[in-house]
Amino acid sequence: MTRLLREHPSIDVELGPDGEPIAFRWNGRQERIEVCNRWRVEESWWSRPIARDYFKVAGASWLALLYLDRVDLTWHLERLYD
Amino acid sequence: MTTPPQNVQAALASLRERWGGAAPRWGGEVEGALAVAPRPSPAFDPEGLPGGPGALPASDRAIPTGFHSVDAILGLGGLPRSAMTAIQGDGTSGKTTLALQAVAGAQAAGGIVAYLDLARSLDPVEAAARGVQLDWLVVLMPDSLDEALAMAAMLLQDRTVDLLLLDLQFWTPGGAGTSNSNLAERLNRLAALARRAGVQVLVLEPPSLPPALAGVLIQVAALRLELNWRAWIRLGRDVVGQRTEVRVTRDRFGPPGRAAELGILYAEGGLRDACLIRRDLLRESTPGTGRLTAAWGSGVAPLGGVAPPGGYRPNLPTSAARLAPLHPPAITPVPDDATSPSSLASPSPAPGPRQGLRSIRGRADHSWRQAVDGRPGPGREPPCARAGRPDPDAARGGP
Amino acid sequence: MPLGAAHRLAPEAVFLDPDPPAGAAALKAALDRLAGFSPGVAAETDAMTPGFGRVEVQLDGLDRLWGPEPLLVRRVGEALAGILPGPPLAGIGGTRFAAAVAAVLAGKVAVPPLVAAGGAAGGAAGGVACGVASGAVALHAIEPSGDAAFLAPLPAVMLSRDPEVRARLDRFGLRVIGQVAELPRSALVARFGPEGEWLHARARGEETEPFRPRHAPERFAMALPIDPPVSNVEGLRFVLHRLAAAFGDQLDARGAATARARLTLELDRSFSTGDVPPSMTIDQLLPEPTSEGLAIERLLIARLEMDPPRASVARVELELGDVAPAAGTQLSLFTPQTGRTGRLGWQLARLGLRFGEDRVGWTELEDTEAALAETRWTWRRGSSFGAGAGASTTGRATAPDRARSGGRTNAALHRGPAS
Repeated sequence: MTRLLREHPSIDVELGPDGEPIAFRWNGRQERIEVCNRWRVEESWWSRPIARDYFKVAGASWLALLYLDRVDLTWHLERLYD
Repeated sequence: MTTPPQNVQAALASLRERWGGAAPRWGGEVEGALAVAPRPSPAFDPEGLPGGPGALPASDRAIPTGFHSVDAILGLGGLPRSAMTAIQGDGTSGKTTLALQAVAGAQAAGGIVAYLDLARSLDPVEAAARGVQLDWLVVLMPDSLDEALAMAAMLLQDRTVDLLLLDLQFWTPGGAGTSNSNLAERLNRLAALARRAGVQVLVLEPPSLPPALAGVLIQVAALRLELNWRAWIRLGRDVVGQRTEVRVTRDRFGPPGRAAELGILYAEGGLRDACLIRRDLLRESTPGTGRLTAAWGSGVAPLGGVAPPGGYRPNLPTSAARLAPLHPPAITPVPDDATSPSSLASPSPAPGPRQGLRSIRGRADHSWRQAVDGRPGPGREPPCARAGRPDPDAARGGP
Repeated sequence: MPLGAAHRLAPEAVFLDPDPPAGAAALKAALDRLAGFSPGVAAETDAMTPGFGRVEVQLDGLDRLWGPEPLLVRRVGEALAGILPGPPLAGIGGTRFAAAVAAVLAGKVAVPPLVAAGGAAGGAAGGVACGVASGAVALHAIEPSGDAAFLAPLPAVMLSRDPEVRARLDRFGLRVIGQVAELPRSALVARFGPEGEWLHARARGEETEPFRPRHAPERFAMALPIDPPVSNVEGLRFVLHRLAAAFGDQLDARGAATARARLTLELDRSFSTGDVPPSMTIDQLLPEPTSEGLAIERLLIARLEMDPPRASVARVELELGDVAPAAGTQLSLFTPQTGRTGRLGWQLARLGLRFGEDRVGWTELEDTEAALAETRWTWRRGSSFGAGAGASTTGRATAPDRARSGGRTNAALHRGPAS
């Protein structure tokens, strides 16, 4: 069961040496994470392109779904598992 | 009748503890009924998978949560109607899952539910997958706790809904608006209103709730549950679920202090969900402890005497270490708190699925054989339990 | 009017002898062509009756197939080009009456229609009608739910063909439709009898006559070509989705459901090897009668995944069979929650007034397999809570929300022969 954060808030992400997220900061909390799964979504390239790299990450207190918006290169939090 | 040797005695005792009447007995030699004992179902209780609400019917006093292990520790066997329940938990604790499953249960019993989505994080797709009927879920989006309480009061006065879910998950106090003590007072009145109106209220309480409000909830909630994350459940490298402890910190209808373990799986709607039913593929990781936990089931404490199918998995630290691919080692380890016959068994390679019962039987037989008098016994071992081990019969030149 | 009088009025006009059989044949051909656009087509086919020349087409959901309305109407015009003497007048509205009036107004901005002597006032009213010989299809489309506003300034006599009624309307000083709509229903019933209720509804943009499509049982079939042909099931899903969704809306608008689906795929064998048949047909019985396009689509895709086409698909035809009134609507009586929606609806309206309409409502699933989470569901405002699962949103040729809850089954505000 996940919570879908409808506005996909922007987050600060710290990347590890291989480019994968190792920590993120949101709502005043910092969380070190490990990536458990990743996939890419690309849609509607013909009109309004959407390209996102999704990362399912597990931290000390949260299991979350982040994505990197490859169009404007920003990181967002999409879901929190609960 | 001879007395069994000490280690066999201990082994039998622990088996009896676990399997009760189905455990092997001593009657001059170990005779057992394990082979015919029905497989205990809790280990395979598909509790965590999304689906309809639990089979327990609602009574006129309570709505079951849909998780059997949780309902079992609640005084009324479910969440009380006509009263307020507070569910507390931090992070990924499963409270949203529990709450939505309860919503589904209330709807299945014919109720209309109002969801006060202060946290703006309802996912209707997930809710529907949990069994929530979106047609009977009114969603309200208050901008502040103030507004949420006002909306709730209006709904309660008219008694048009049967369950009100107040989601305070990300709420932070402060900013312009009503003071905390005022909010606390209104929350108090809301609880009273709910009782009078006969409407069930469910509050999702974040740990960061200011003391004034938390205090009110402690007082007015007829039932208060605390959820704590215990372990991730993994399929390979991916985390596909969690084990959570549910503790009753207050129950007007039963004794507090009871706790249960809940296994929750996240089905994501793809082909991979089929793997979630295969318990043998799932592993738990509990960082920081050395405890072995088996493929999980609700309400089941760590199993002594039975190695998890597939072998031992190293505990993972919570830091950012990368995961190594899983290679089940060849040796089934010895749990440190069990005096089971496994200490007598010779190492066996990672067995296939559904080895739990067979492993016990195999080992019990084997241990008896080895420990008692070395004679081949009447017991038969299934071939897979024996695979790879030196055949005792062969060593002795046959039965 | 008599031929002589007509001659005097317009000496340069050309008068044609009426040719009822040819007219009827042309209209039938037009109806057949229109059936390719919508399963809901109806018309008066007797060339001697006053209503001849008016064709009604039910448009619910068709925007998914044929594009937005202006485009759709243009395509219809193109399709009918060779069949009818001239481009049609088109009107689009929420009710049959409003659509008919809209078509008349569409004609007003162009050359007046040909008058066939002794025949009907062809083209005077209707959805798509024979008439005007000028350029493109003349279209007047009423805004969704704008029927009442559109009708308000128009002469009240348009509400009825009955000279008695017209006279009465005049006597009571009701010049425009808006005045009729403003009156309380009881007042009209007092003055006009049961007729008054009917007039009232018509004036307010409520549907008074249920749409009765041409064939019964009718053939719910539509096809779409695929260019270039697709070779995988995923590509077919895209097309099938459009077809199924359009049908779903049509069924919903009729209060009907289907129990059987037949999918015919025309295969492009140019690049295939081996012995590939020219087409592939799947006959699928549905687990229960349904009007949900998505459910039908999923089932058919599942079938296709099990047994995929052996060559690229150049054309997809979907036909729904066993279409019958949805008995399923009665099942809602067995849901415990249903009886309470009335009060809840009022409650939600009050909440909406106090806190804002956009903060109270409910959610509905759309495509749960869409790649982006935000597109999998939508938000519905609180005003029509409890209308039940599958309640469609804006249906074009159906009654507005307010009448929907009772409207369809209650459409018995009939009034003799339809005008």
